[in-house]
Amino acid sequence: MLRNLRLAARMLSKTPFVTCIAVLSLALGIGANSAIFSLFDQMLLQPLPVPSPEELVNLGAPGPKMGSTQCSQAGSCEVVFSYPMYRDLERTQTVLTGLAAHRAFQPSLAIDGEPLTGQGVMVSGSYFPTLQLQSAAGRLFTVADDAPVGANFVAVLGYDFWRDRFGSSPSVIGKTIRINGKAFSVIGVAPKEFSGTTLGVRPTVYVPISMRAVIEPGFTNFENRRAYWVYVFGRRKPDVSLAQATAALNALYRPIINDVEVPLQSGISNQTLARFKARLVTVNDGRQGQSSTPENAKTPLLLLMGVTGVVLLIACANIANLLLARGAGRAAEMGVRLALGATRGQLLALLLTESVLLALIGGVASLGVAHLTLKFIGTLMPSNEVGALVFELQGSVVLFTAALAVVTGLVFGLFPALHSTRSDLISVIRAGAGQLTGGKAATRFRATLVTVQIALSMALLVSAGLFLKSLMNVSRVDLGLRVDDVVTFGLSPVRAGMDSTRAAVYFTRVQEVLAAMPGVTGVTSSRVPLLAGQSWGTAVHVQGFTSGPDIDADSRLNQVGPGYFQMMGVPLIAGRDIAESDLHGGARVAVVNETFARKFGLGRDAVGKFMSDGENDSLTVQIVGLTPDVKYNSVKDTIPPVFYFAARQDWSIGELNFYVRSSLPVAQVMASVRGAMKALDPTIPVEDLKSMPQQIRENVFLDHMISILSAAFAVLATVLAAIGLYGMLAFSVTQRTREIGVRMALGADAARVRAMVMKQVGLMTLVGGVIGVAGAFGIGQAARALLFGLEGHDALVFSASVLLLSAVALAAGFLPARRAALINPMQALRHD
Amino acid sequence: MVATATPLIHMQGITKVFTTDEMETHALQAIDFDIAAGEYVAIAGPSGCGKTTLLSILGLLDAPSGGQYTLAGQPVAALSAVERARVRNRQIGFIFQAFNLIGDLTVAENVELPLTYRSDLTPADRKDRVARALGRVGMSHRARHYPPQLSGGQQQRVAVARAVAGDPAILLADEPTGNLDSKNGEAVMELLQELNAGGATICMVTHDERYARHAGRQVHLFDGRVADAAASVTAMA
Ligand SMILES: Nc1ncnc2c1ncn2[C@@H]1O[C@H](COP(=O)(O)OP(=O)(O)O)[C@@H](O)[C@H]1O
Ligand SMILES: [Mg+2]
Repeated sequence: MLRNLRLAARMLSKTPFVTCIAVLSLALGIGANSAIFSLFDQMLLQPLPVPSPEELVNLGAPGPKMGSTQCSQAGSCEVVFSYPMYRDLERTQTVLTGLAAHRAFQPSLAIDGEPLTGQGVMVSGSYFPTLQLQSAAGRLFTVADDAPVGANFVAVLGYDFWRDRFGSSPSVIGKTIRINGKAFSVIGVAPKEFSGTTLGVRPTVYVPISMRAVIEPGFTNFENRRAYWVYVFGRRKPDVSLAQATAALNALYRPIINDVEVPLQSGISNQTLARFKARLVTVNDGRQGQSSTPENAKTPLLLLMGVTGVVLLIACANIANLLLARGAGRAAEMGVRLALGATRGQLLALLLTESVLLALIGGVASLGVAHLTLKFIGTLMPSNEVGALVFELQGSVVLFTAALAVVTGLVFGLFPALHSTRSDLISVIRAGAGQLTGGKAATRFRATLVTVQIALSMALLVSAGLFLKSLMNVSRVDLGLRVDDVVTFGLSPVRAGMDSTRAAVYFTRVQEVLAAMPGVTGVTSSRVPLLAGQSWGTAVHVQGFTSGPDIDADSRLNQVGPGYFQMMGVPLIAGRDIAESDLHGGARVAVVNETFARKFGLGRDAVGKFMSDGENDSLTVQIVGLTPDVKYNSVKDTIPPVFYFAARQDWSIGELNFYVRSSLPVAQVMASVRGAMKALDPTIPVEDLKSMPQQIRENVFLDHMISILSAAFAVLATVLAAIGLYGMLAFSVTQRTREIGVRMALGADAARVRAMVMKQVGLMTLVGGVIGVAGAFGIGQAARALLFGLEGHDALVFSASVLLLSAVALAAGFLPARRAALINPMQALRHD
Repeated sequence: MVATATPLIHMQGITKVFTTDEMETHALQAIDFDIAAGEYVAIAGPSGCGKTTLLSILGLLDAPSGGQYTLAGQPVAALSAVERARVRNRQIGFIFQAFNLIGDLTVAENVELPLTYRSDLTPADRKDRVARALGRVGMSHRARHYPPQLSGGQQQRVAVARAVAGDPAILLADEPTGNLDSKNGEAVMELLQELNAGGATICMVTHDERYARHAGRQVHLFDGRVADAAASVTAMA
């Protein structure tokens, strides 16, 4: 074994260039896989770092939900419960050892007077006990910390925050910190590896869920069975199956639905009521916690895993080809070894040691590639998404890489090893007996490998082309806005402890201060940030539009500052913009978009009509303007119906996003914004300060990421395939030197010899290309959901890919063909 | 000298110098040499004397460093690479020591190979010529075999068939018996003699005096020079 290793190492170091190419191919192939696997593992595989995570179950409450529903990153609106329902289920436990509730919130923290932003989670007292976690310092919440409502001003810190902000000092226990302006006492620190139960949220602080009204003034829904906002998970007793848990929980849930909740539902059709009565709790595996990220990330990640897998296959084919070529050179050596009495097994072991060693070296090098790839992917993702993931190599990834390397080594080493140890003694002795034949099986195998490589890179090129074109379509979307020189940021004074009436005054001051900054040509604001993926909706009543049960009267809305449309470069179709004079206490006004006017039957005559403020049916708001449809929360989604109220007419607004148009460089504008806001009120942090173009890019980051990565991997695949093609042809020309010499002696001229080699290129490209195109159709279909504005079989993309690959193949074939044509026909006469 | 028809091959002052790293090898030095149509010439001499070099220049596989070479009245130096390939294809038939059959092609395909480089033959013509050539060497029954399935002697017969299939002006053979045992070697020699008797012009290289005697004329090479062409002719006369 050790001797084999030493021999293998010597073999590899004897041909340093070839070994380098091989190691590099492998490093790229394995590295790309490890990087994507790292993301895959984090998003889709890793269980929560808690004892027996397999016992955890996520509960869901699908079915019609009349009333209000608030959902978040922790999962879809289908799964949220009302607070009273959660408490009902929690009270009676038969199959679970604990049932926990949680909900994320945006905290404004103040520690020793210094304002900080972070992420917060409101959790039930049963949260930490259900997870069976032990504190890193102090203690964690118990059920006693969670009752009664609004009474327990206690907080638990996240471990990273404790380490980074307090240097892991135990003296933090008992300290008072301000969360949304209220004083909370720190009672403990969550354990080291634990960062909440929702991927994408890394909690800075945990507070009892019963404190929601304290940290969100105005919240009243602790008793409301028609307000759905709680995410619920539990821990099964060890001997209870998922099915048993489901049955037992529904035995509890169904009577509450039918006896308690059905009477609360009014104004709904019989059909909806029937569906409401049929509601059941769903119970799913909860070992990974609750998050919508895996669901969203699954398709792109699977796609990228597939792509990198293909890249690795192509790299492996190169190595196999290389080993075969080397094996051909060593046929005589193998023959002699066999003649000297070595068994085939011994030779196989030697050769496989060599290929596994090669793969392991490649594997080690691939860790660097994986690291860089991860860092690069990190730069492609917006900061709030990055927070969810670790862009560093973790133990599982290193293991994955090692396993991949060994398997790769065995797979690509096996055929070449089998082949080059097959040389029977007779043929060794007869070697040089004058036939121009070079191992037909090996030649065919090598050609097949290259053809497969061409097919695979064809498929990758097409899919990369599809994503690039999709991205081009995305970047060409007409947003209907002119925001290239606009900088945006958010302010949340109410969260920092200001009351909302004073916040209204503050917002007016902010507007004035921003407008007075040098270079600023326009300032406005909106409650829902523009094109940031957030949206806000409600059902409305509109003059002349008949509402009723089961009639869709939903619209998106926003509250905006004066001059909003002018500032965003949107010319109104009719009526006027929200004006400086639209103030609190004055006549309520709204601007609606065309889709809204169409949906509610207003047409072009929207201006002058009245609508309701939300779900109540008094028509108190007059529509004063009609705007063309412009993008609202997402670049790619179709534009929903939207109405805009005047933000200054609502004194309950706690947070507002501002937009500043300036002719100065973005960095300079950002710096002045920070300075001006700090001077105005240092206790209120500036949030999410960025340029609008960046906000828009982040809105479509997934498109950017997929197309950039798939293009990068496709280029890599094509380069590897080109190397493979080149290597295969170069080797075959070398092996056929004598044969080509004979052909030239028999009268083949240079053009004919070149054509002979290029014909081989053409054949492999044709066969590989056709297979690849067929495969690409499949990929195009599978990836349709990720494509924007094109089908999975875009003719332009397909033909461009075919042209590109043909050009690459011809280029790769050119040198060997030229070399073949330059062979001296004298070679035919050499007989030694 | 009586004016006869121009010789098929006329060489005058042919030299060949190989320049390697720090060495010049004068493989051929001022060779004067004619072959008339219908002649059977053997070039004999010890190993390393320049036989293969001379043959390769004769066969247009290599260009001389100096001197004049006229083939069928045509100065060869003036030919382009494509024209040289055409001459090799039409006027010259090669027989190699190592047979040099292509292992992936059948016997018939090997014989057909040089014919496929010509545009003046229909597939039917080619088939016809292949059949005749194989018939001449007595290998018709092996047309569908692959070279590795044949003995050395059989392979060399196929190589001869390949050389004659295009009706070349001259057959060039470099040690055609070198890889054969004496019985098979004799057989190939007889085949060449038969071909010569049928009108073929042949120039054969050998280091073996026994085989050289089969030829009508022997040219002795020694250290890149023609030793005593006249002497041997006289000796035979
Ligand atoms: N390509 C070459 N480069 C350098 N020297 C060569 C080359 N080919 C032949 N020679 C030299 O030219 C001389 C004649 O060689 P060759 O014609 O092969 O001899 P022969 O066929 O009579 O055995 C030898 O000394 C040989 O080493
Ligand atoms: Mg020789």
